[in-house]
Amino acid sequence: MTPVSSKLYADDVSLLMVLVDTNPYFWSSMKNTAFTFPKFISHVLAFLNSILLLNQMNQVVVIATGYNSCDYVFDSSTSSMQRAECLLEKLEDFVDKDESLSQEDSVDGVGFSLLSGALSMALCYIQRVFRSGPLHPQPRILCLHGSPDGPGQYVAVMNSIFSAQRSMVPIDSCVIGSQHSAFLQQASYITGGVYLKPQVSDGLFQYLSTVFATDLHSRSFLQLPRPVGVDFRASCFCHKNTIDMGFICSVCLSIFCKHHKKCSTCGSNFGEARKQDPSASDQRRTSYGS
Amino acid sequence: MPQVKIVARNFMDMVASLPVMKLDMLYDNSFICEAILRSLPPLAKKYVLQMLYIDIPITAKSMEEWVLPDGFSKHKVAIDRLIQLRVMTETFDRKKEAMYQLNPKFQFNLQKHIVYGGVLPREPMPSNITVRLPSLEELEAYAVEQWECFLLNLISSSEAGKTTNISSSMMKIFQRGLLSQRDDREPPRLTESGFQFLLMDTNAQLWYIIREYITNAEERGVDSADLIAFLLELSFHVTGKAYNTNTITDLQRSIIKDLSDLGLVKLQQGRKESWFIPTKLATNLSISLADTTTRKQGFIVIETNFRLYAYSTSKLHCEILRLFARVEYQLPNLIVGAINKESLYKAFQNGITSEQIVSFLQQNAHPRVAERIPSVPENVTDQIRLWESDLNRVEMTPAHFYDEFPSKDVFEAACDFAREYGGLLWEDSKRMRLVVKADILAEMKEFLRRQKQ
Repeated sequence: MTPVSSKLYADDVSLLMVLVDTNPYFWSSMKNTAFTFPKFISHVLAFLNSILLLNQMNQVVVIATGYNSCDYVFDSSTSSMQRAECLLEKLEDFVDKDESLSQEDSVDGVGFSLLSGALSMALCYIQRVFRSGPLHPQPRILCLHGSPDGPGQYVAVMNSIFSAQRSMVPIDSCVIGSQHSAFLQQASYITGGVYLKPQVSDGLFQYLSTVFATDLHSRSFLQLPRPVGVDFRASCFCHKNTIDMGFICSVCLSIFCKHHKKCSTCGSNFGEARKQDPSASDQRRTSYGS
Repeated sequence: MPQVKIVARNFMDMVASLPVMKLDMLYDNSFICEAILRSLPPLAKKYVLQMLYIDIPITAKSMEEWVLPDGFSKHKVAIDRLIQLRVMTETFDRKKEAMYQLNPKFQFNLQKHIVYGGVLPREPMPSNITVRLPSLEELEAYAVEQWECFLLNLISSSEAGKTTNISSSMMKIFQRGLLSQRDDREPPRLTESGFQFLLMDTNAQLWYIIREYITNAEERGVDSADLIAFLLELSFHVTGKAYNTNTITDLQRSIIKDLSDLGLVKLQQGRKESWFIPTKLATNLSISLADTTTRKQGFIVIETNFRLYAYSTSKLHCEILRLFARVEYQLPNLIVGAINKESLYKAFQNGITSEQIVSFLQQNAHPRVAERIPSVPENVTDQIRLWESDLNRVEMTPAHFYDEFPSKDVFEAACDFAREYGGLLWEDSKRMRLVVKADILAEMKEFLRRQKQ
C-alpha cells in the first residue's frame, strides 16, 4: 500500500527565482568586453523561455538587482505574461527608477548591487508560495551576479542564506563578473546549490541550459560542477571590512576587527582586553560556514 | 493506481509507433514539438535543452559522462525514449561507436520557439463580433457538465439526465473494454477496467477516450497523424478565447463537433460567423500527455463505523460510490452512505477487488483525513478484505468425474496419468472413482481409449 501523497505536481515542476544584476556601474565597466548587457539579457531571455517550455507548470520570477533598489520585473504566473520578452519593458522602467534614486556623488569603482535585498525578496516570494497550500512547485534561486560583493551587506546576505538553508531552497550562482564572489560561494555551498563562474561568457546560454536548467529532481542523477574552493571569510560588523582574524562576541557571535568594551549588537560587556596576547581566546578565525 | 500511467504511456507509444514518415511530418508543427518535449521524462528534457545548440553528433560515451553512477538507469530510459520518439537519432561512426544527434526539424522548431517565442496557432476573434462570450467559470462549469454527462452516458447510467450527441457507434467504441454485457436482456455491467477507468483523474480518462478516438480514426477515413496534430495544436489555444471556425478545415470542423460533446470546446453561433471556444479540458490535453502522477483533491471521509461522507456535488461521484456502498441520502454538497456486506458483495460480483476499493478510498480521502495515517480506518480496510476473502472460501474448478473402472490397474494407471499432467483433483481408490480437471479432458479420453484396446 503506497501512502497517499498530497503531490499534485510532477517531480520536475520548478519555481525559478532569477536575480538579475542590473548595476549600471558594473555593466558600464563591461562595455569594452564582448559581453554587454543587451547580449546578457538575450541569453537570459532564451534561458527563461526554455525553462517555461520544459513544463507548462514551471514558473519563473525575475527580480532585478539594482544599485539602489530591487524589484520584481517578471512573473510568469500572471496571465498577461506568458513569455519572457514581457520583462524588457518593466526592466527599462526599473533601471530608470533605480537611476533616479541615485545620489549625485560619484561612485568609486564598480560599486555594489543590492544582493541582500533581492535575496530577501526572492525568499519572501517563496515563503508566500509555501504558504499558499500544500501543492506548490519546487523553488530554487538563481543569482546572475557580476558586481563585486558589498561587505556592508555581509550580515543581511548571511541571514538570507541561512533562511534559505532553513527552508531548503538551494541558491545557484552564476558569476558573470571577472572576480569570484565569496558571498555567492558561501550561499551555494551552504544551501546545496551550484556555484559556477563561466570561463567563456559568450556561451552563457549553454552554461545556463546545461547547469542551471537542471531541476532539483534530476540533480541527484547528473554530474554538476562541484565547489572548488569556498572563501569563508567574514566581514566585521564595525567597519564592514573582510577579515581573516577578528574578535567574536561570546554571547551573540558578532564579529569585530578590533577589541571593543561593549558589544554593539547585543550590549554585553566584555572583560579586560588582554592586550599582550591579542591572538588568544577572544580572537578566533572568523567564518560562519566552516 | 498503475493503470493511469499505462494509459498515458500508451499514448506516447502510439505516437512513437507511427511510421517514420508520419512522425517526421508531425515535427513540422512546432506545437507538436513542444507537446512532445513536455511529455518526456525530466532527464530527457534536460538533454534536449542541453543539445539544442549543438549541431554535431555527440558520442554515447560523452553523454554517459553527464550522469552520476546512481542515475544510469534513468539515463538509459531517457535515451531510449528520445530515440523511440525520433527526437534523437542514433548513428554509428567508423569505430562502431554510437553517436546521438537531435532531429533537425525538432531542433529547429525549438530553437525558434526559444528565441522568437511561440506564435498562437490562430488569432482569436475580435470581441466586437463575439458579444456574449462565457466567463472562465461558466466555461469550466460547462466543460465539467459535458464531461460528466458523457461519462454517465458511457456507463449507461440511468442518472444521466440528457444524452450526448455522440453517435451510438462511437459510444460503442468507447465502451469497448469498459462495459461487458452477458446477454441483450441484461443491462451492461462495468468491467474491472471500467471501474479502474472511473477511478482515474479526468485528464487520464480524457486521454483514454481520445486514444480510442484516434485509434479508430483510420476506420472513419481520418489520418491519425492529422488528428494527433490537430488535437495537440488545440491544446495550445487560449482558454476562453473565441476562434473562428472558418480558419479550420472541414475535417477539423467535424472533429471539433465531436470534441464539443466531450466538453473540450464550446461551439457558439453568431449572426454570420460561428466560433469555437476551447475549455480547460482542451488546453490540458498536452498536460495529460506527460507521464505524471497528477492528483486531484479528495472528498471522502470514512468513519470507523463504516459510515461514508463524500463532499461532492457530482452525480458521477455518487455513481462511483454506488458501485460499492449504499448511498443513503444526497444533500446539495454531500453524499452520505455506508459500506456494508451486501454493497460490497455486489461490487465483488462485478469483478471489483477489495484492493481497488481500498486504494480508491485512500486516494480520494478528504484533505482533513488525508493527513492522518491511515487515512481510511484500519478496521474498515480489514473488514473489506475479510469480506472479500469470505467469498473466496470455495474455489470452483471445472472437472470431470470418472468411475466404474474395469480393473484396479486401469484405475491406477489413469490416476498416474492425471497426476503427471497435474490434473488430478481427487481419487477414491477403494471405490475406484476419480475427478480430474476439465483442462486435460482430451488427453484423458485419448489415454483411456488406448487402455481399452
